Amino acid sequence: MGEENQFDAVVVGAGPAGLACAYLLAKAGKAVLIIERGDAPGAKNVTGGRIYAYALNLLDQELLEDAAWERKVSHEEIMIIDGKRSITIDYHDPSLTEGDQSIQSYTVLRAVFDQWMAGKAEEVGAMLVCGIRVDDLIQREGRVVGVIAGEDEIYAEMVIAADGVNSIMAQKAGLISDLKKETVGVGVKEVIELPAKTIEERFKLSQNEGSARMILGCTQGIHGGGFLYTNRESISLGCVFMPQEIVQHGQQVHDIFQELKMHPAIYPLIQDGKTVEYSAHLVSEAGLRGMPAQLYKEGLLLVGDSAGLVINTGYSIRGMDLAILSGIAAARAILGENDRSKIGPAYLAEMEKICLLPTMRLSDGYTQLLDIPRIYSNYPQLAIGVMQRLYKVDGQIPQNLKKQVMEAIDESGLTLWQMIKDGFKGVRSI
Amino acid sequence: MSRIIACYKWVADEADMKINPDMSVDLSKAKGKISDYDRNVIEAAVQMAKISGDLAVTLTFGSPKAKLSLKDALSRGPAEGFWVNSEMAEQADGAASAKVLAAAIDKIGDYKLIICGEGASDTFARQVGPSIAARLGIPCVSSAIKMELSGNEVKVSRKLEDGIEIVAAQLPAVVCILPEINRPPIPGLKAVLDAGKKPTREYKIEELGLLDSDLGARNETIEFKAYVMNRKNIVLDGETAVDKVQALVGSLKKEGII
Repeated sequence: MGEENQFDAVVVGAGPAGLACAYLLAKAGKAVLIIERGDAPGAKNVTGGRIYAYALNLLDQELLEDAAWERKVSHEEIMIIDGKRSITIDYHDPSLTEGDQSIQSYTVLRAVFDQWMAGKAEEVGAMLVCGIRVDDLIQREGRVVGVIAGEDEIYAEMVIAADGVNSIMAQKAGLISDLKKETVGVGVKEVIELPAKTIEERFKLSQNEGSARMILGCTQGIHGGGFLYTNRESISLGCVFMPQEIVQHGQQVHDIFQELKMHPAIYPLIQDGKTVEYSAHLVSEAGLRGMPAQLYKEGLLLVGDSAGLVINTGYSIRGMDLAILSGIAAARAILGENDRSKIGPAYLAEMEKICLLPTMRLSDGYTQLLDIPRIYSNYPQLAIGVMQRLYKVDGQIPQNLKKQVMEAIDESGLTLWQMIKDGFKGVRSI
Repeated sequence: MSRIIACYKWVADEADMKINPDMSVDLSKAKGKISDYDRNVIEAAVQMAKISGDLAVTLTFGSPKAKLSLKDALSRGPAEGFWVNSEMAEQADGAASAKVLAAAIDKIGDYKLIICGEGASDTFARQVGPSIAARLGIPCVSSAIKMELSGNEVKVSRKLEDGIEIVAAQLPAVVCILPEINRPPIPGLKAVLDAGKKPTREYKIEELGLLDSDLGARNETIEFKAYVMNRKNIVLDGETAVDKVQALVGSLKKEGII
């Protein structure tokens, strides 16, 4: 640590990405300062709420053992909504709650989880300061050498930008420009409190078991979708939308979300619950294409949401695990490379090794698939239409199945040609 | 250089308070914080010490949970933090708290001025400051909105219901302040980092020559309940803005608010 440098590393943002990096650096004996804008870690973010355990396992196996999770996900659900009707597919694997922890996933409440993780980083010697906003980077001759918070300047060998989507640090470093409207969604979420027993009854869960549900067709045709996660004593229910489409449709985010809450297949799940938290946030939506072209600058690394590390496949959303992986990769690069100018390239190499960048590249197809506007209205309508005909027994002579399906296609407003094109695109992109 | 001692209380954050359907209050998930008014107390001590060249220090009587408060208090500027650590603090009333704080102040020694909040943000019983003064046998001035040290005196502006009273008291003295005395700034990054390096001192009750049995509360909280204030749901009608304002004024007068 040089005379001028007060810290080996300053981490901006106490979320999973920053904390993973801080944890490993501090554990290796580095002087680490974590600066968090919220009054406590986890205070500022909005997340659906699932973390894949393998990432924590990679960070430190011991951490996995007492992680502050809510429920282990053993029910993976997809729900398709059209009007008041709905289809729910529930894939249940009870073995996911026992045995090999590294293939499990947990629902988490970030206010709890981030504080737990911050506590772990502090235990190994990282310093955490909350309630402070970092306003700018200190840059000298194209290198980042520290941060500015209010009137205070703090110098560091490395700055880790873990300040989330629309990262101020990345902007100040010139690595990203203002957000493009098509690369971010607007997410709204409520945490609805219910007794554990009620949640277990309504979702058919045994103790500790949890469900994760993606909801399609709940956005009134707007590019987006819903999610529902069961926590120990609450439910996280939310929606993500493309903001410019909402404006075009002349609708209010709040109204669409209210309609989802009142949906006949959703309302019984949250009935008598008490909304204890309502939040809204930007969500990086573009996958690989939403990542900044450069993930580093000399003296600065972008991790987690700041680096656009989110994967949305339509059937699951990943963000927190990728955040932790990037934090690990950043720490490994910093610890493994003494020459500061080589840490950036080393970070990319570590991201390859940890399978992070390959995963991002592979998921790019999903983003293309999810760009098809028909996914958000016509296809849900088609699926529901087929079901409706399949199960309708009214004493009339039943039509043959093929004819019924064709009718449903007609009703959904899709053409066969579009479906062939979309199907081809689907197969190719996945 | 003498000490200017800022006394503060570590209270449950009312933002985390939950009201159960039976109107009982659940504080089990509430995080702690320095009583809002006591942030003014610490700021007042820091400001006074800056002018007089004395040493601002903080003092609290709290359960082990109050340990968290030391760094927060010191990030606001004082040079040293004192903490009387006892579970008894959880049930202490004003008399017991004053007994402990007075004994601690005696132990710290070399004090010029003790600053307290007019009341704590949880109970607002307004007893601790005057009781400390009585125990130490020094003057006490309450409801302070301005104070100034000059020579061997502290000159205090007291906010009364219909005026301002200016009084002078011999030092050492206890001054209980109202929040309008200053606006405590939010500590900056360096202040927070420096706070971790400042000295803190922990006292046990026995070290102060007291016994747990001395600290029994003479007031016992029998019940702690929320109350509901129903909205009146009055809609004011009127053709013009003037009509509406007049209706509003009339309504407020009827309620005895203005």
